[in-house]
Amino acid sequence: QNINVTGKVTAKDDGLPIIGASVGVKGTTTGTQTKTDGTFSLSVPSGGVLTVSYIGYAPQEVTVTGPSLNIVLVPSAKQLGEVVVTGALGLTRTRNQQAYAAQQVSGDEVSKTRSSNFVEGLSGKVSGLEIRQNNGLGSSTNVVIRGAKSIFNSNQALFVVDGVPFNNGSPSGSTINSSDQRTGRGGYDYGSPIQDINPDNIESVTVLKGAAASALYGSQGANGVILITTKKARKGLGVVVNTGVSVGAIDKSTFAKYQKEYGGGYGPGYEDPSGYFWYRDVNGDGQPDLVTPLTEDASYGAAFDPNLKVYQWNAFYKGLSTYGQATPWVAAANDPSTFFQKAVSNNQSIFITSGGDNGSFKLGYTRNNDSGILPNSNILKNSINFSGSHNITNKLTAAASIDYTRTDGLGRYGTGYQAENVVGNFRQWWQVNTDIKQQKEAYYNSLAQGENGNATWNLSNFNDPTAIYWNNPYFARYQNYESDSRNRYFGNVSLNYKATDWLNILGRVTVDNWNQLQDERRAVGTTGVSSYSRRNTGWNETDFDLIASVNKNLGNDFNLKAVAGTNIRKQRYQDLYAITNGGLVVPGIYALSNSLNTPDAPTEADQRRQVNGVYAGATLTYKNTYTLDGTLRRDVSSTLPKGGNAYYYPAVSAGFVFSELMKDQDWLSYGKLRANYAEVGNDAPIFSTIDTYTLGTPINGAPQAIINATKNNPNLKPERTTSSEFGAELSFFNGRLGFDGTYYVNKTVDQIIPVTISAATGYSAAYLNSGTVQNKGIELTLNGSPVRSKDFSWKIDLNFTRNRSKVLELFKDASGQQAQNLQIGSFQGGVTINASLGQPLGTIRGTDFVYLNGQRVVGDDGYYLQTSTANNVIGNSNPKWIGGINNTFRYKNLTLSFLIDIRKGGSVFSLDTYYGFDTGLYPETAGLNDLGNPSRLPISKGGGVIVKGVKEDGTPNTTRVENTGSGLYGYETNPNAAFVYDAGYVKLRQALISYSFPQSVVSKLGPVKGIDLSLIGRNLWIIHKNLPYADPEESLSSGNLQGYQSGAYPTVRTVALNAKFTF
Amino acid sequence: CTKDITSLNENPKAPATVPATALFTQGQNTLASNLSSANVYLNIFRLIEQQWQETTYITESNYNIKDNKIPDGIWTAFYRDVLEPFEQAKANFASSPTLAAGTKKNSIAIADIMQVYSYYYLLTTFGNIPYTDALNIDNKFPKYDDAATVYNALLTRLDADIANLDEAEGSLDNADQVYGGDVASWRKFANTFKLKMGITMADVDNAKAKSVVEAAVAAGVFTSNADNANFKFATNPPNTNPVWVDLVQSGRLDFVAGKTFVDALTTSADPRIGLYFTKDAAGGYSGGKIGTKNSYDAFSKPSVALTAPNFPGLLLDYSETEFNLAEAVERGYNVGGTAATHYNNAITASILYWGGTQAAATAYIATPSVAYATATGDYKQKIGYQKWLALYNRGWDAWVENRRLDYPKLPAPANPVSDFPVRFNYPVSEQNVNTVNYNDAAAKIGGDEVTSKLFFDKN
Repeated sequence: QNINVTGKVTAKDDGLPIIGASVGVKGTTTGTQTKTDGTFSLSVPSGGVLTVSYIGYAPQEVTVTGPSLNIVLVPSAKQLGEVVVTGALGLTRTRNQQAYAAQQVSGDEVSKTRSSNFVEGLSGKVSGLEIRQNNGLGSSTNVVIRGAKSIFNSNQALFVVDGVPFNNGSPSGSTINSSDQRTGRGGYDYGSPIQDINPDNIESVTVLKGAAASALYGSQGANGVILITTKKARKGLGVVVNTGVSVGAIDKSTFAKYQKEYGGGYGPGYEDPSGYFWYRDVNGDGQPDLVTPLTEDASYGAAFDPNLKVYQWNAFYKGLSTYGQATPWVAAANDPSTFFQKAVSNNQSIFITSGGDNGSFKLGYTRNNDSGILPNSNILKNSINFSGSHNITNKLTAAASIDYTRTDGLGRYGTGYQAENVVGNFRQWWQVNTDIKQQKEAYYNSLAQGENGNATWNLSNFNDPTAIYWNNPYFARYQNYESDSRNRYFGNVSLNYKATDWLNILGRVTVDNWNQLQDERRAVGTTGVSSYSRRNTGWNETDFDLIASVNKNLGNDFNLKAVAGTNIRKQRYQDLYAITNGGLVVPGIYALSNSLNTPDAPTEADQRRQVNGVYAGATLTYKNTYTLDGTLRRDVSSTLPKGGNAYYYPAVSAGFVFSELMKDQDWLSYGKLRANYAEVGNDAPIFSTIDTYTLGTPINGAPQAIINATKNNPNLKPERTTSSEFGAELSFFNGRLGFDGTYYVNKTVDQIIPVTISAATGYSAAYLNSGTVQNKGIELTLNGSPVRSKDFSWKIDLNFTRNRSKVLELFKDASGQQAQNLQIGSFQGGVTINASLGQPLGTIRGTDFVYLNGQRVVGDDGYYLQTSTANNVIGNSNPKWIGGINNTFRYKNLTLSFLIDIRKGGSVFSLDTYYGFDTGLYPETAGLNDLGNPSRLPISKGGGVIVKGVKEDGTPNTTRVENTGSGLYGYETNPNAAFVYDAGYVKLRQALISYSFPQSVVSKLGPVKGIDLSLIGRNLWIIHKNLPYADPEESLSSGNLQGYQSGAYPTVRTVALNAKFTF
Repeated sequence: CTKDITSLNENPKAPATVPATALFTQGQNTLASNLSSANVYLNIFRLIEQQWQETTYITESNYNIKDNKIPDGIWTAFYRDVLEPFEQAKANFASSPTLAAGTKKNSIAIADIMQVYSYYYLLTTFGNIPYTDALNIDNKFPKYDDAATVYNALLTRLDADIANLDEAEGSLDNADQVYGGDVASWRKFANTFKLKMGITMADVDNAKAKSVVEAAVAAGVFTSNADNANFKFATNPPNTNPVWVDLVQSGRLDFVAGKTFVDALTTSADPRIGLYFTKDAAGGYSGGKIGTKNSYDAFSKPSVALTAPNFPGLLLDYSETEFNLAEAVERGYNVGGTAATHYNNAITASILYWGGTQAAATAYIATPSVAYATATGDYKQKIGYQKWLALYNRGWDAWVENRRLDYPKLPAPANPVSDFPVRFNYPVSEQNVNTVNYNDAAAKIGGDEVTSKLFFDKN
């Protein structure tokens, strides 16, 4: 006589439902798992006994007494060692068997921030993981584990989704952004392709930090691995719906503030008697009139005076109310901070899962629509996830999955030093008398007048409205914009054969394919040359995997887990780029055929790589206490020279769970020591062994061939990283206090680098095996539950990472001469990012102050002395340490959590202050001097400034210098070092309040099983920073060139509201 | 499966070998572009020589060469983008299995002449430079050679090249965008350039200079503007004259005429003024004050002719040749004619080249301040002054001659960051990547300063 029993399983410690607990009828094979709300239903013989178990909790047996049951499980720390952890290739180990550092973050943790970029949800949560977010809409994210190891190749972590690598950029995996974009020469940040992953589809994220953990992935895993496990269908039907909206506004502490005392100009020397204005007959009365120096993109002009009437830019556009009129000379009522608009996002997702005895499926759809703080910016992302599996027999399971994501971008932000970066314009070259609201009006007015819209403040002349250096910012956004679309398919088919209860064989083919179209426009009427360009990029990776795995107990004391497999990886990257030549003929038509001159041939790339790998590994555990783990992989890569293209990755790990020997010690819940050593290799970038030429456009019928600037090398060897790691995991007082600490040393030798060399060799760079970089570091995580009761709990998680990198060796030539420095990137302003011998990787070099006893020396002319050389180390882009503090408070169904993200130290060079201080935009460049007079007055009238420092004889500087025109505070008279800032910060990264409706309410709502409401704040508050007017985390792009800002976008504070319904 | 996967590493979109002529053309194009360019990251010599002046961004007019890393720009533009293509072109010519021996020999000689020519600008800009170690990828740390020694080596190379030219054999044809591969013209070019090199070293080694100059003249140098070495830039981008790109296509308003230069032209009613510059807002000719900000509107601008996309890149001309001959006569070299005749020929050639008339030239050289007999100063001053006027738009050469002849004395700009630069600093990249040799080279000249005089610059 069976009865239908429904029940709910909750945890005693926090009262929350337990998801996925096993519920079985004792003595039978009947059983089920609890759903996301902890409930289950099962047909049970009357008087039967249910067994309920879940990892980390003591199992329970319950006698069925009625149709509904409430079961409360009690945590048991002694079970911690049995928690199953996913490792490389999706292989599972129990925690006791795991002898390397790994940290797991639940999918909820990641997705609850409701950001369309799930990587942002990891920031500050995992030790050893450094994430740098950029503030542009959909911009790239830098993800580095345990510090940068490779001077040139990608240092970005490998993302693996359900066992298969997920491409995050070009074949080097670093970024899809162009080299010009990364070195600040302009272009758009097209984001990181990893953003194609749907946050709502993530079950959990595991970060494998060291080489021993990731060696089975081969060279791709050398920088650590972020394993993403997507949601799996559970038994029964499950439906989850999310809907949310968010609003963001700029954090004003990360944007420029403007002085309000002086208007446009570079200083006296113009035409009128005061020297601050042009003096031209505007109104035709034969008398010269005061005109703003319209071409001048600086604010070292005349002092504001509301009684002074000046013909400003807005006098020269027909249709404006100010047309033909001189207007008062005053600071703008609306400065560029009013250019930014509210960023609005909305997000909907639905996931349906269904599981039965013979198979399961999952179907999900997510739509994410983000508009940014700049006008005309939007990214729309639609994702469909489908997966299904079917048990063909007891032993044979077929499964397939496909994810499709389409991203449509419009008006991504221009970056770096170019006219399309309006923020660079606002921060570096601006007239503070320009009113943003009027620029907006002028833009629309110009279009209404049938003109091109570029009614800029920066005219060529009063009678020539052509934009000279800067466009009207609205024109720049609405007319000079990019659009892009990316289609991505990621999927696999697999067959799994469970040959015996201890042997499993998996065959799988995975395809990761994306193609992207980028259109960039420069409208007729723009500064420079109007143009249209398009870039088609395609990526394909196909992986063939055959994996056999063994899990067998050998007698009572030994357990063996082993794996052997083969992996063939084929990658192909194709790119085609074409641009009009010399301008556009017909305005508004963005087609290659609309080119003033015959377009040059498109540039093409077709890059392929194949890596054939075989590997094997074994984990032997004795008495669940001692573990010895060894793996070996051999890769053969197509990018290395024939005969020298095979390399091995050995790894060995040992673990000792000493708490197994101390079971009588109640205070100690868990204790493990682990040590490991691994060697991993890396192949060369594609096409770095054979020299080729680029064919140029023929001149007058004569063909031209360009020698590539980098000399290739037919003798490259694989680069190698050795890695050692020691760690301890401890847990006390029934798991209420936990500790995980790791010390590691990585050394990367024979690095494959296009070494920058003297151009006198005929080349800018040459591929060489060159350089050893060492990274040593400590990672700590600490978690505690100071309060843990049924109604109220408080959890605190701390993590801390300290990495020190050092360049130990650089290349030597045949005569033994050693390079002292490798230049990795060269930037505007004469600043370089370098690998300098004996220094951390990523030193910033440039001109420096001259110091005497620690004081800056001022020359006879009253300006700072500067080093004549530009190879002085003036900064280091690496932080001293990073950390995160996460607090979670729960009272009944209400949860409050907040995450503080800390970065200590590191430096950043700001091209924004390098120019912006020069052009007099900021308050520091005006105001009063030591005499109490306006510093911008001539010295003869009590103005001028005495710069702080000492004379060459050591006595304090007393020479007063003029501040009447541009130069005193900026690049013209100061060394690069004056614009290097501490990049540290303390940020309230995330705050979250969520409320789960109580079961008593929800149960009245028919099919609804749960409702969760959350209010999420992201980047709410920069508690501390030293970089003025900008976000120290901001950078041009992801990649190896960090520590340089140009046209930095402000931080966006976001508040989101989300509702989640479970059916 | 035994397929060799390393074949995937052969780039299907870029050739591993190219015709030598395509490398030659690329090198010649870049060389002409470097010398013609007005890009403030590369060629600022019109500003240094005060022929032009900047409007808003005035750092280079004030001798600031560091902010834009101009030395790095020059170094790369010459070594990597000119000398190396010629080097590889020579090697490819030599190894070509199909090229006739005579064509091969002529092509290599012409490419070598172009290299000698290119090194001249590096030597006169930096002084000691990598030479024996240069263009050798196996030597990643090229050492610097003594400038005077390199200079003599170049003269030897030039002689060898001249000897290798053979008018009866084939040549480069259309790959040569200066003379269309005409060997006789190249012989003349080489001797004319040899004359120039001889004169440039006259202050330091008069005996050698004399023999070099006399040999060159005896072999035959330019005798009219028809001999000029003009690189034929294309009418449409991308292979246009870079001045058009920088001044016209960019839409920027960076440059106006320089006051010093315009005043000099005005003073002597120079017929070239309207050929060099446009009229200013007031209908006359005026130049921006040197080293200060200037309104673009107010002053004369570079003329429409020289800002055309296909305005030829002048590598060597008849006018400077006649100036060199005038100086050779003054120095007592046996080159024939009188100093005054050569001087008059030089000025006349310049005026005609720019589109002036013979009558205008005749009137101009009769002006007392211009006429050789009555112009101010010794021959160095007279020739220096007029050469400076004639080397308009060829700022790099004007800078060499200005330092060598010490005339005219240019006034200091308004806010100079240094004294008048008599050389350029070595590149920042050399400091970073060739440190030991850089330090050594800097020490040899008493510090890597813009005020350290170079080998040819005696006084």
